Amino acid sequence: MFWRKQRAAIERFHPLHRALVLEGGFSVSLRRDDWEPVIQSLAGHAQHVRRRKWALPVRAQRVMVPLLRVLAADMRRDGVLSVAADMRGPDAPGKAGPQHDLPARRPVLSVKQWYTVDPWLRMRAELRDGSVLELSVTERRRNRRIRKRNPRGKIKIKQKSKSVQVVQVVRRLPKDAAVRRPGSPPPPWVRVRVKQGSRLVIRATAKVAGEQAEEQLTEGILHVTTEPFRWTPPGAAVRGAQ
Amino acid sequence: MTSQVNRCTVTTGFFVLGRCGRAAVAACGQCGRPVCAEHATGALCPECALAQGYAPQDPHDPAWVRGYRRRHYERSSQTYNDAYWYSSFDEYDRGAFNPGDEYSYGGGDFDDDGMDFVDS
Repeated sequence: MFWRKQRAAIERFHPLHRALVLEGGFSVSLRRDDWEPVIQSLAGHAQHVRRRKWALPVRAQRVMVPLLRVLAADMRRDGVLSVAADMRGPDAPGKAGPQHDLPARRPVLSVKQWYTVDPWLRMRAELRDGSVLELSVTERRRNRRIRKRNPRGKIKIKQKSKSVQVVQVVRRLPKDAAVRRPGSPPPPWVRVRVKQGSRLVIRATAKVAGEQAEEQLTEGILHVTTEPFRWTPPGAAVRGAQ
Repeated sequence: MTSQVNRCTVTTGFFVLGRCGRAAVAACGQCGRPVCAEHATGALCPECALAQGYAPQDPHDPAWVRGYRRRHYERSSQTYNDAYWYSSFDEYDRGAFNPGDEYSYGGGDFDDDGMDFVDS
């Protein structure tokens, strides 16, 4: 059998790591410390597996792992961190919406447009100050398929796509948490909604450009995640909760 | 009974900050503050090690969050044009270097059994 050493290495990976490689995702809730073996298993992927078919999705290593680290740092040992990751990409079946025609004029024969919606990462963390953080990243991609006839009569087809990452972060604060409205408003690309009640809920939503390096995407997600925490000054929440 | 000055005062967390709180086993060779076995990076505390350029760049490293945290607060403070956001973090983080100060010690996050994986 071909690739038997790499197949054997994949069998030795953590089950979630294996699911990520073979199925392109997983959905699981684990206690904080149970994520460390997963991260260490992911760290050793490149040493054992070189076949492109089994390569780890770039987003898993450069977006999901940093976010796991950040959220785990804010959790107690018995806190539960849930992750639903779907790294199959926007071309996976079931993610494309209906196609519709756009107006076209010669030499363009037809223009078809459709959107794909790919909610590829959702996380939920019980933080140590008693609040709950929910984070979701959805890639929304606009696709256009253009058929045109050139002067020699050939029909050529061109396809274009433009994507944006929609980041939504919701933080449900514990009851009677000390809250202070931030001194400065968020930047215009971050929308914030606050729901009053016994547990204050702060929701921040933003669109981050889709065509950029994964490190910049991670930074953009963390910038959006910052907004709900500006309502409780750093360090104050834990002291109040002790 | 372990006295307060013998507790590790390394800042933990990312958005929800706290102090380590484990029993200290050594003093930092640079700044002299007490650090636990988990946070002793050679002979230095994590902050002094970072200041000397030993910040891990790989997110798979458990200590990566610590190095990334200050950078994130600096950048997000610029993004939100909120100087208070960074200064409140900085004040809390630097408070760990003032032993005995009430602000420097906000209660420990960890028990003394040293079984935590997260090291930030």
